[in-house]
Amino acid sequence: MATTQEENQLRMGESLLNRKVIVKGDTTYKIVSKSVTEYHFTVPFILPDEERVEVGQIFSIKDQGLTFLARVLNIEHSSNYDGHWDTTMKGTQFFDQDQIFNRVIAEPLGCINKKLEFKKSRTLPTKFASVTRAEKEEFKFLSQVMGDIEVGYLRNGSRLVEEIPVALHSEAMDHHMGVFATTGMGKSNFMKVFAASCMRLFARGESKFGLLIVDPHGEYLKGKGPIKGLTHLKKYREGLACYSTNRQNASDPGVEELAISESEIFPQDIALLYEWSLPQRDALDTVSRIFDSASWLEEIQSPEGMARMVQEGFKDSTVMVLIRRIKNEMGRNPYIRKRSSLANILANLQKGKVVLVDIPRMSDRSELFLLSVISRYILDEYKKDEQEGQESRKNCLITIEEAQRVLGAGSNTARFESIAREGRKFGVGLCAITQQPKLIDKQLLSQFNTLVVMGLGDRNDRQHLEESAKQDLSSMDIEIQTLEKGEAVVSTLNIPFPVPARIHRYEDYLRRLEKEDKQESLITRGGFKPFLE
Amino acid sequence: MIRDHISLDGIDRYLAETGVQESDFVLVEPSDFTGEIFAVDGSNVSICNWSMASVNLIRAGYAVYRGRVWRRTVITFDDVFMADAKLCRNMFDPYLEQFFGLKGIDLKESDLDRLSSYYRELQEYVAINETLGEAHAGDIILYDGSFDVFELLRGALAVIFARAEEKGVALLAVAKSSSLFWGEEITLPFVQHTSTIGSGLLPEAAWYLSLKDKKVDAGQGRWNGETYVVRFCGESEHDFRVDAPLFLQDEMGSVLGKLAAYSCSSECLGYPHALFRAHRDIRITEQEGAAVRQRLMARLLESGMTHSEIRMLMQDFHDILEMRSGF
Repeated sequence: MATTQEENQLRMGESLLNRKVIVKGDTTYKIVSKSVTEYHFTVPFILPDEERVEVGQIFSIKDQGLTFLARVLNIEHSSNYDGHWDTTMKGTQFFDQDQIFNRVIAEPLGCINKKLEFKKSRTLPTKFASVTRAEKEEFKFLSQVMGDIEVGYLRNGSRLVEEIPVALHSEAMDHHMGVFATTGMGKSNFMKVFAASCMRLFARGESKFGLLIVDPHGEYLKGKGPIKGLTHLKKYREGLACYSTNRQNASDPGVEELAISESEIFPQDIALLYEWSLPQRDALDTVSRIFDSASWLEEIQSPEGMARMVQEGFKDSTVMVLIRRIKNEMGRNPYIRKRSSLANILANLQKGKVVLVDIPRMSDRSELFLLSVISRYILDEYKKDEQEGQESRKNCLITIEEAQRVLGAGSNTARFESIAREGRKFGVGLCAITQQPKLIDKQLLSQFNTLVVMGLGDRNDRQHLEESAKQDLSSMDIEIQTLEKGEAVVSTLNIPFPVPARIHRYEDYLRRLEKEDKQESLITRGGFKPFLE
Repeated sequence: MIRDHISLDGIDRYLAETGVQESDFVLVEPSDFTGEIFAVDGSNVSICNWSMASVNLIRAGYAVYRGRVWRRTVITFDDVFMADAKLCRNMFDPYLEQFFGLKGIDLKESDLDRLSSYYRELQEYVAINETLGEAHAGDIILYDGSFDVFELLRGALAVIFARAEEKGVALLAVAKSSSLFWGEEITLPFVQHTSTIGSGLLPEAAWYLSLKDKKVDAGQGRWNGETYVVRFCGESEHDFRVDAPLFLQDEMGSVLGKLAAYSCSSECLGYPHALFRAHRDIRITEQEGAAVRQRLMARLLESGMTHSEIRMLMQDFHDILEMRSGF
């Protein structure tokens, strides 16, 4: 009876109680702060290896009609407590693992609306909104903004998103491209993949620009050992025009022996190869005024030519230095002949082909000389075309290896600088490849609208790049520092944020291209596992 | 002088003046426990105070653990309380009557601070009562505080003790700070000095000491129970005053052994973890207090009060002295 009375009392008391029960729920993978420019979310502090959160990974936050995307910048130990156990772990273990977590600091990339349109976000997700690792569904919009030159697959941290190929835009190529990586990170592989995609575009009649590659290492033409070259891509071989200074290579079918006519060499081409005193530079400048531009090389070396220079007031010794250096270059560059490949090279570029100039074992200076001659020729011809209104020709992208030699602050290579500054007007772009972006002039670097960054250990290199890049790369410093071989961050104007990518391994890409149907759409294909085969 | 209060010069004087024997320190062996531990706590924050009445935000509730696993936290009361000795009786009486079958209490002589403390304690007892409804025989209910309470609410506590005994549930009050004193010529802190001696006698072990028949000032002591000093974890140097109803006096070693097994968390070593969680889940943070203050001001403005009246009501002159803005 007493018990019944007590129960009645308890029951009556219920009306006075306003119980609120808090039960165990998901306390992690939630947005906990902080602003429109920085999101913080929590993840469990212990996770299996395959689920660990990594810098660079992209997470999605679904919040009503919007899906926010955010890239991980940093991860910190955190908890709901003020105490720190980093060095003084007490007791047997944490009892409340829901109170201890890792705090992930992420950079908002933007948000996707219901129409799958991606926009920069001017708001922030609701507090405690759920966070999940972004999967292919969230990246689908990227397929719509990718270009036509496939170079790899989207990467989310270390995970590959094979359904989303990363492809550059042909339209952006005359806005210049920079490929930055320390040695061994895959610059050459990237260029071959890039060239293969260009060859493919040509074969499909979709090419929008010609690509010039001058290869001083002799690795692009036929490769070395198991490393394949561009000529191995037989299916799209028609998109490749090859020129070589090497007799043996030039004897291969489809490879022409490179020749540059003496008449195509200008004093400026010699000028960039040496340090000159003021009188010597003056003498070089005078050459174009007093000699015929088509025969100056021959004339200046003759006694009459020398006499004319002396008549102009130059000392014997000055003219002798000039002539000696010219002779040296003529001797070093046996491809200087009466005939020329330049018109042919230009024609192929204007058709939209990949033009490979193979100059194995050529010295650094000779390479620079050749590149200067070809680049000037191309720019002059594109300028003429522009004036004549030649709409049919394709744009052109000139690749410069070790670009810091010619685009460095204070370098005397105004030719390449002028391409960087004004080439775009005439449809000529530069593809600068370097492992030392810090040596490239900042103003020039700021003209580069497409950047492929493949791992830079030097903080000064990264900082230089971040300060000049069109898209904000500063927040990706840790990620760029930790990129592994073959991984890249691709930043280009047509893609709304710098995209983490894994560049295809050329040999695997080659196999895939050889197998594919010629008209098959590359971009929507997916399912290719370049590193698993 | 301060040193005289804090330092303990040898064990002999302590033993002689308190009546404690070395053998009174009893080793506690941590033991597994499959039942549930309920931890009851409350929180009380002043919202405003205008000398003849005050408003406080009060919260009470409990956390429930089975072993090391937190099951839930239940908030049983979370509301503002207006303390006015002449008016607030009707806020106490329904709870006393409905939960404990008691008639109302006379609060007219109580000052305002005490009123809100009484109310918080009352709500904590309601929460204990709730845990008694959920607990099974053998479970443990912990209360953050002491059972040595003001006389006005002793009746509620008596009902709770009776229900706990009937149900076979262990009920303990664990106090983080205690007013236990010893000393014939000077008032000395008992728990702290007991801690020093316990560490020497039973190093790196959990132990307890019963204060029954000891010359220790333990307050009024008319609440039908015993007081202990307990070290829950050997790795810790923190000891606590623990009050337990009389019906538990023969089981203390066993009950404390169960608690010792769950007082070794990294989060709060040496303290029953359930109480730690209850404290964190139930406490009213400064921000919450400020938010309630803002809401109250908005409501008062809506009800037609002027800013000047609200300022008079809510501003503390200390805020002006400390140059704290709030209005």
